[in-house]
Formats: sequence, structure tokens, C-alpha cells
Amino acid sequence: MTKKSDENKPRISRRAFLGTGAAAGAASMLPAGPGAQAAPQAAGEATNAKVSPPSPEQMAREVGSALPPSLVERAAQRPGSDLMVQVLRDLEIEYVVSNPGSSFEGLQESIINYGEIPNVMPEFITALHEESAVDMAHGYARSEGKPICALIQGTIGLQHASMAIYQAFLGQVPMIVLVGREDKHFLQQHTADDVAALVRPFTKWDTHPQNIEETLDALQEAYRQSITPPCAPVVVIMDGHIGKEEAGDLRVPAYYPPVIPTITERQADKIAAGLASASNPRISVGRFRTPAGIDSAVELAELVGASTDSRSTSGPMSFPQTHPLTGPGVSTEYDFELGLEVPGAQASVTGPHLRTLDDRDLVGINFGNIRPPVRPTPDTSGDFDLTADAEASLPLIIEATKKRLNGQAKNAIAARTVSHTKANRDNRIAGLREAVESKRPGWNGSPVSLARIYAELWPLIKDLDWCLASPSIFSGRHHVDLWDHDRPYSYLGVYPAAALGYALGASTGAALAAKGRDRIVINIQGDGDFNYSPGSVWTAAHHNLPILTIMHNNRAYHMELMYLQFMAGVRGRGTDRAEIGTTFRDPYINYAKLAEGYGVKSEGPISDPNELSAALARGVESVSNGEPYLIDVLTQPR
Amino acid sequence: MKNIRSSVALVSVCSVLLVATAAGQDSGDTDNGKQLYFDHACYSCHGYGGIGRRNIANNASGILVSEEVFITYLRARADQNPQFPTQTMPNYAASSLSDDDARDIYAFIRTLKDDPPEVDDIPALKGILEDAETGL
Ligand code: HEC
Ligand SMILES: Cc1ncc(C[n+]2csc(CCOP(=O)(O)OP(=O)(O)O)c2C)c(N)n1
Ligand SMILES: [Mg+2]
Repeated sequence: MTKKSDENKPRISRRAFLGTGAAAGAASMLPAGPGAQAAPQAAGEATNAKVSPPSPEQMAREVGSALPPSLVERAAQRPGSDLMVQVLRDLEIEYVVSNPGSSFEGLQESIINYGEIPNVMPEFITALHEESAVDMAHGYARSEGKPICALIQGTIGLQHASMAIYQAFLGQVPMIVLVGREDKHFLQQHTADDVAALVRPFTKWDTHPQNIEETLDALQEAYRQSITPPCAPVVVIMDGHIGKEEAGDLRVPAYYPPVIPTITERQADKIAAGLASASNPRISVGRFRTPAGIDSAVELAELVGASTDSRSTSGPMSFPQTHPLTGPGVSTEYDFELGLEVPGAQASVTGPHLRTLDDRDLVGINFGNIRPPVRPTPDTSGDFDLTADAEASLPLIIEATKKRLNGQAKNAIAARTVSHTKANRDNRIAGLREAVESKRPGWNGSPVSLARIYAELWPLIKDLDWCLASPSIFSGRHHVDLWDHDRPYSYLGVYPAAALGYALGASTGAALAAKGRDRIVINIQGDGDFNYSPGSVWTAAHHNLPILTIMHNNRAYHMELMYLQFMAGVRGRGTDRAEIGTTFRDPYINYAKLAEGYGVKSEGPISDPNELSAALARGVESVSNGEPYLIDVLTQPR
Repeated sequence: MKNIRSSVALVSVCSVLLVATAAGQDSGDTDNGKQLYFDHACYSCHGYGGIGRRNIANNASGILVSEEVFITYLRARADQNPQFPTQTMPNYAASSLSDDDARDIYAFIRTLKDDPPEVDDIPALKGILEDAETGL
């Protein structure tokens, strides 16, 4: 057994602290002596006191001169927080995105100073808002299929973060939210017995370890929980004092990977039989957990010569859009259909969904249960619907299929692969002819047509490794039919909770993933969405993130303008005032100046479409050199 | 052949004249119409120049055949918010938008022209098609 840390050590309660007055408070700052002993003992009870006004000392610590918590804690030779960083490093967590807070000063110090300095594994990323921090973790997870950490200050930071956590939960992305908590030296308003309760209805798992050893286990378990389908945000409450304690010779526990649920070998064989005996099999691919799922799906589709349906134009981790087998194929009379993370096929393997978390304790947070995520009811008409992770099941299906393919079958597969390839290519070219024709109207219009932005950007990025991180639903989705979505992260999809304020943070997170991978991030950014937490522009400048932001500046919450217009129309009381509360007029916002103020190169506003292409080229050039860039474009509303 | 063609041309010229006469009802003030098109947020869904989620430039819509048809159309919209507002058009009751104002908007809309270049003359679009055709 490794040693337990002093979890039973009495804590100084606020009530006692206040009761003994300033003198005792001051005395407790001494490294040793009667004062230091007296205060904890007097405090034995009640860590759970009702909220009292902060003492002058607490206030000073929070907003004024920060006094050291205690010399003993600071003197740890091998602080617990160093081991915590080591655990994150071993898990290959690249970033801890955070808005700083003293509840985790020990951990933050370890993140920057542990090992080779400055430590960059994980690297501390400065977010200017907790919502941005979580959105960054969200965007990163969508592009890489793995989690990073958001490090959040107590009850207050967590409330800032909560909507973004909710969105990540509905998006089923893995992420580890570390929440600093501190009873001893912390404003009571910033702490609570059960901090995680604030977000429990929309997180998958949380824990509150009581000593170093438990914390190291908790971090590993958090990682496992978040990457096990259904993937979701998880929370670890981190008591600040634990990270400051001496770890002595405590060792980081060995990590073991989670067990991902797969289909059985018999089920795999049944699917293999269907695929191998079909003369026109079909595979439909939804969203896998990680890029490995895509590789396996490509292997399977090629193995059986199946035409394949991809979702890569609506979100990440799907089948490559321009793979020769992607498309309807030579005939749509399919005689066996396999759905991979797509329900309703003859055989469908779909991962478990998040339910309402009925089994979680929702008492006492005064929030009540949330409505279960609304999802299309899975179509169970298929004979064979299996709840398991498709990505982890694919190797079983591939193995079973290989065993069933004889020479004759292989010849038939080779032949239909050739015909599918031709049919899909013809189909694609026909689609593109229609698409380009449909983008012409309004080409020379001013303000600028949204189709033109997407069309003119494409030749500049098509030979680069790119990721479109912003939801495109308000900007016309023109990439869908003009661009090739062939990578796991080509398009990261829409806002899972339709909750705005997301695109900039998510793009910044995608850019954290892109940095060092020779990839650039495109963010076609709604102006309303931008203004919730624009501080990520600075984060991009500060950390040299390759993110090209193109403002879809229609100077409005345009969606809302249209709704209000509708309402006014229905009531017939005047349809010429819908701009009130829905537009950014008087004054207009100058995004190029705003970006400049945050230290990001920028230009605009551009309203002449003929100036667009050169501006886009400058932007792509800048981000290719690792420098963020923002172009303010005055656009048509939709 | 030549004769047939010129008579077809003659017929089309006549029909243009006919429409123009029918739209002798084009009584509205286009400048005021432009302002109203903006104030009543027609640009929301039809773009500032008549190209948007639903295109109304180039007088292509049957609704623009006469002021009467147009005004009737404005007054007869559905009484319900759609899930996505761009998919259907709001109502414009007489209490919100008078017949006179509607006529001004009508006159303005009929001036909206969109004459975009052909795909062959738009390098970005042409390139996308060519890349696919050459298998890139
Ligand atoms: C919220 C979106 C929206 C707004 C605002 C709006 N429209 Fe429309 N409009 C539509 C849609 C969608 C259609 C086609 C479908 C329909 O009739 O609902 C349409 C159709 C039309 C048509 C017929 C076009 C055709 O294809 O035949 C005309 C003309 C028109 N609108 C004019 C106007 C004018 C004038 C205004 C302002 C007074 C206006 N619209 C405001 C959405 C809108
Ligand atoms: C957090 C949040 N607050 C409010 C809304 C309501 N809402 C939906 S669309 C929208 C306007 C979005 O503005 P913008 O990003 O500029 O897109 P536009 O509609 O102008 O294209 C708003 C405020 C929301 N979805 N999420
Ligand atoms: Mg907007």
C-alpha cells in the first residue's frame, strides 16, 4: 500500500477562522507554533458552514495582495501536483486550457515548471473565459478524437463553463474538466461541498479525490471514462491543498486502457456472411470515435467492394468523401446494408448513447433533471441492431469477412469496384456541375455572397491540410458541395446544442490540434456568435495558432431578426422595426480593429467582392506560417 | 429559317411591350421602395440585390406579374413561425405595410437585376469542376 495522505487532517473552517479574529488568522500564517496548531483544532467541525462574508484576509488573497498559503506546503520537495502532471503527460494530453485561479496554483505551477522548463507536455493554454476553455477542448476533441483538459476555478469558473460543457455533452466528445476547489484559504463563495453538482446533469462522471494517490487514480479513470463510448465530458474536483502536499516516494500508477464494448465474434461472422454473399453490399458510415475507425471502414469497404455513404460533409470522423467507393455506386438496389454508427440498416452497429443519467444523484442542485437529449429514435426495423462501438468492432468484422471470401467472390468484388468507381465519379461530376451553377447568382453582389467566400477560398486551401472548424449552417453550407472532405477533421459539424458563442473557441481548439501538425484551421465566423467571448482571438495570437477567421458579418443576429419579422408579420402591428434587438447597427462593430487590438493581423471590412480573393490569399499565407489572421467581410445575410 | 427567327423575335418584343403596358401599373417610387425593402427586412431572405435564399431578381417570379398579384401575395402569408424562417415568407398585412408602400416596393424589386458571369468566367468555380473532371 502506498501511503495515504492526511485526508483526515482538520481543515480551518471559515466560521472558526472568523470567530478567532484577525490575530488568530495572522498567527495561522506562521510556519509553526501555537497559532498554527490552535486554528485547525478549533476548526474541527463545520467545513460546511453557511456562506459568511469573506474575511479581510480572504478578500485580500482573492483580490489584493496574495499571501502564501503556508510555508510548509510550499516547501514540498516532490509536490503531488508534479505527479498529476506526469499522469496527464503519460496519457498524452497535449494541453491544459485554463483561465487561472488560485484554487489550483499548485497544479498550475507544476504544469509550467515540472520537468524541462517551460514544460509543454501538457502545455498551459491561456483562455480568457471558461466557456472558451471548454469550447477549445471541444474543438480539439472533435478534430483529434481524444481529450484535453480544461482547468477551471471553483464554483464561479464552472458556472462560466457550464453551457459549453452542456454543448460538449450533447456533442458526445471526450474532455476532462478539472475544477479547482479549496476550503482553507478560499472565498467561500468560490467553493462548495459538491462543486460538481453544478454540471452533473450533463457530465458523464465526476469524482472528488481526497489525497494524492486518489487524485492520480482519478485522472486516469477520468480519461478512461471520457473516451469510453458514449464519450462525454467528465469532471475531477481538485482540492488545492492536495497538489501542494509532499508526495514522498509515491509512484504514478500504471495506466490500463478502458474496455470498449464490441460485438461478439458470432455477430461479426453474421455480418461477414451478409457482406460476403451480397452482390451489391452497401456500407453507411456515421461518426467514429477516432481516425482509426475510418481506416478500418476503408479497409472493409475495399475488401468487399461496397459502395459507401459518408457523413463527412456534416461532421468529423466519417468516410473520406472522394474515396472511389463513396457515392450511390453503380446501382442503388443494395442486397445487404451495414450501418456503422448509423442506425436502421439491415445490420447496424451503433455505440451506446447517453441517457438521462437517471442513476446520478441530482438532488440538491436546484436545477432538476434536464430533458434527455432529443435524438431521432433509432430505427429498429433492421433485423440486426447491435449496441456496440463500431470502431472497436470493425477488426472483428474484417477478420470474419476475410475468412469468407473465396477466389470467385474476390473477382466479383474487383469487377464491381471498377463499376462503382466510375459510377461514383460520374455522379460526383454531375453533382458538381449543378453545384457550381447554383453558386453563380449574386456572384458580383455587394455585400459579398457567402457562396463566393467558400468558392474562392477553396483553390487556396485545397492542396493544404485544412480543417473547417466552424458550423456552416448559417453561412450556407457551401463547402458541402464545393470542397473535398477527405480527412477525419475536414468539417467539425454544427453546434450540438445550437448554443452560440462556440465557433471561435472550437476553432481555437481545432487550431491547438492543428499546430505542429502542419494543418490550418478555417473559421467562417458569424458576428453574433463571435461576440459572446471574443477573447479567444488573443489566445490564438498568444499561442501562435494557425486559424483563419473570416467574418460572416451580416451585422445582425440575423436568425433572430427573421423570427421577429415573422412575429411582427403575424400580429400585423408593424414589420419595419424587427431590427430592434437583433442587429449590430449604431455603431457597427469593426472586427479588423478588434482583432488588431488583440494582436491578430487583420483586414477589412471588405464589401467589394473583387477584393475578397486577394484578402483570402493573404490570410491563408499568414496561417500557413503559423500566424492567425482575421478578415472582416460584409456579407449578404444568408 | 431567317424569317421564322425574326418573327419569333418580333413576338417576344411584343410580349415584352404587353407586359410593360400591363405593368403600366408600375406606379411606385423606386427610391422609397428601396428604403422600404430594407426597413421591412425583405433583404433578410431575398438578399440586398434580390439574390438570397429565394431569388427574386430579374423579374423571374410570376408573383411580380402585376401590383395586384404581388400585394395579394404579401397579405396572404402563413400565420405560423416556421422552424427555419428562410423557408417561408412572413405576412405583410395592410396594417403594417400600406398598398402604396407595397407598390413602391414592387417598383423597386422590378429594377433588381443579377447578371453573374458564366462558370467558365469564374476561375474558382471553373477550377473546381476541372479538378473533378481531370480526376484531381
Ligand atoms: C423570412 C424570410 C422572408 C422575408 C423576410 C421575405 N420573404 Fe419573400 N419569400 C420568402 C420565401 C421563403 C419565399 C418563397 C416561398 C414562400 O412563398 O413562402 C418568398 C417569396 C417571395 C416572392 C415570390 C418569389 C417567387 O419565387 O415566385 C416575392 C416577390 C417576395 N417573396 C417578396 C418579398 C418582399 C417584397 C418582402 C418584404 C416585404 C419579402 N419577400 C420578405 C421569404 C421571405
Ligand atoms: C447561447 C445562445 N444564445 C442565444 C441563442 C439564440 N440565437 C439563435 S441564432 C442567433 C443569432 C446568431 O447570430 P450570428 O451568429 O451572427 O448568425 P446569423 O444568424 O446572423 O447568421 C441567436 C442569438 C442561441 N442559440 N444560443
Ligand atoms: Mg450575424
